Amino acid sequence: MTLAIAFLLAATFVISVGGLALLIWALANDQFQMGQQAARTIFSSGEIGRVEDPGAAPTARARMQDEREPEQADSDEDAAEFEARARADASTRVPVNWWLASSVFWLVFGSIFGMIASVKLHLPDWLVQDAALTFGRLRPAHLNTVAYGWASMAGVGVGVWLIPRLFKTEMLGGRFATAGAIIWNIGVIIGTVAIVTGHSDGMEWLEFPWQADVALVAGGALATVPLILSLLKRRVQHLYVSSWYLLAALVWFPMLFITANIPNLFGGVEQAMLNWWYAHNVLGLWLTPLALAAAYYFIPKVVGAPIYSYGLSLIGFWALALFYSQVGLHHLIGGPVPTWAVTISIVHSVMMCIPVLAVAVNHHMTVARHWRLLIYSPTLRFVTAGAVMYTLASVQGSMESLRAVNTVTHFTHYTVAHAHLGVYGFYSFIMFGAIYFIMPRVTGREWPNHRAISVHFWLVIVGFAVYFIPLSIGGWLQGLTMLDAAKPFMESVLVTKPYLLARSVGGGLMTLGHLVFATHFLMALSGQGAIRAQATRFRMRRAEVAS
Amino acid sequence: MSPKDRTRAQRREAQEPTELSNPVPWPVAVIAVGFILWGFWYYFQNVGYPAMAGDRRSAIVIDPSASFDGSVVYAGNCAACHQGNGKGLAGVFPPLAGSEWVLENEDRLVQILLHGINGEIEVAGVTYQGVMPAFPQLADGELAAVLSFIRSEWGNTATPIATAAVEAGRQRFPDRDGPWQGGAELNEAFPPES
Repeated sequence: MTLAIAFLLAATFVISVGGLALLIWALANDQFQMGQQAARTIFSSGEIGRVEDPGAAPTARARMQDEREPEQADSDEDAAEFEARARADASTRVPVNWWLASSVFWLVFGSIFGMIASVKLHLPDWLVQDAALTFGRLRPAHLNTVAYGWASMAGVGVGVWLIPRLFKTEMLGGRFATAGAIIWNIGVIIGTVAIVTGHSDGMEWLEFPWQADVALVAGGALATVPLILSLLKRRVQHLYVSSWYLLAALVWFPMLFITANIPNLFGGVEQAMLNWWYAHNVLGLWLTPLALAAAYYFIPKVVGAPIYSYGLSLIGFWALALFYSQVGLHHLIGGPVPTWAVTISIVHSVMMCIPVLAVAVNHHMTVARHWRLLIYSPTLRFVTAGAVMYTLASVQGSMESLRAVNTVTHFTHYTVAHAHLGVYGFYSFIMFGAIYFIMPRVTGREWPNHRAISVHFWLVIVGFAVYFIPLSIGGWLQGLTMLDAAKPFMESVLVTKPYLLARSVGGGLMTLGHLVFATHFLMALSGQGAIRAQATRFRMRRAEVAS
Repeated sequence: MSPKDRTRAQRREAQEPTELSNPVPWPVAVIAVGFILWGFWYYFQNVGYPAMAGDRRSAIVIDPSASFDGSVVYAGNCAACHQGNGKGLAGVFPPLAGSEWVLENEDRLVQILLHGINGEIEVAGVTYQGVMPAFPQLADGELAAVLSFIRSEWGNTATPIATAAVEAGRQRFPDRDGPWQGGAELNEAFPPES
């Protein structure tokens, strides 16, 4: 690229960052009459300082967090607030059950696809009798069922539950969201069958054929209807940060998905550029905002303390919106794409450290002061683990976009491990935490078994460590071996073998955790949980469990 | 169920989340400015790479006076279809060994490589229906070397083709856009000597 291009790119970059800084400053300092003063209006009187979920009897509460003030008696306003929350939750019961139950179903399915694909990498002769069982079909089946089945459906389910909570209104048009879940499921079924039977579109993250794409677009559009209806009827002036992420995700995803699926829009190298523009944006502009919306809601909700800084929330959101959409081309570093295009993606990838740092300080400062709650609250422990892994995955992703690092890690299992740190460690953990909070409120019953939650947590977190750490090491060694011109290619394959074996063990533990979670979820859904004042927590006294 | 029972899960929650107005911590601001300065600097780190090549790639510069090994050019560009033994694949890719298109008119042969063929062509008594890509991106010397190679291998014994012949061939059909439409169009442009 010429000096003139570099100058224009750098100037554009600085001008847009400057504009963004101005926007954030204006919002943070009330220049649009929508700032912090409005933010305080969403408190109900008497709310500040109330003790935290996961609900416990007064004694247990005291144990969980002894520094907080003693419990206050209900005022009339409080009683009205509780009633309003209960009505809000009741209004989302049916659609939330649909979206979440479907997501858990796809989680189990997707895990099994992933397990088989993983084992095939160290037992290549296993299950090769039929084309439908080969790696080339099961791996995309895994990707698409976990991305569009589990992750997207869980995210929409959590979003649908959050809507009336955030807007302080009952959900309007919940039926549209329910219909959306049914149609979305049909899309995922069609798409998965198409992939397994060899009718894939052939581009990563876009394997579903157009018939399935149409169903996803229609299902997603239907799920957005109640969001808009409830937004118009909202009873809050200030939109809390979770609402920004949720609204943005539901606007961004259809734009990305439809653009990327327009047939024959581009060919050749340009098609690859569009492909990766989409594939990375689906993480950053769809899954990430859904999970951050949940984390921004559940962390302060459970610890019972406000988020540390409104200014940081603004930076985290707007910097994500500005920087993320350009990062995808770092998947084509060293490829036939012009230097200037790849360079933009690298700069933007590294800039993602700014919103990530802002979100990390906001989340971790809020949790750090109440860390003892991690011992008790399933929601907080899962969500916090997810928030920590968001920081790690994002910083790692920025590092991987640097050409020097990418030269080693590209085309290796290192990238696969990184992808799982993002979508599993970060995203899925936050969704698990959210589901643990939501289900008792929509079913009216507590989770049936507190030990099942512990088993789920330890299986998935230990399983994930066993998956992630060896696979990252193996991927790095694979990359170094491929770069060594003196070594034959086959050596780079063989060097990964023990690490791939460890990955299957870790994946097995995770899958086992999902089976425990799915069984527990079914028990909760079928009304087997107790009706009692206390929430189901990691640690419970015998008397509480029996009651 | 009493109202207290019905709302018990909702009662034990903390307030709806909100945010404090703490200022952005100064280390965060400093780090952010540091990143932005890095980004500005990094754009200028990428000056000098050719605009039309791939990411940080340079276009290959070929010395026109260099001599080329026709067998290497053949292995890299031709052998995938015409095979290492020059016999092609029966019914799909025509042979070069004993092919009249290779052995007879050398100007016509140069044109086949420069523009490619799309359509029906009869080679050694068998009719093929296929596509041959064009190779104008190869240097004159490379084309001359590979043509001389295929005219002298696998029992072929035709004269070598000079670099000058390829150079002249490039000027011959300046308006041509797209491949030759099968053997028929080639025969029209180069009437067979009879």
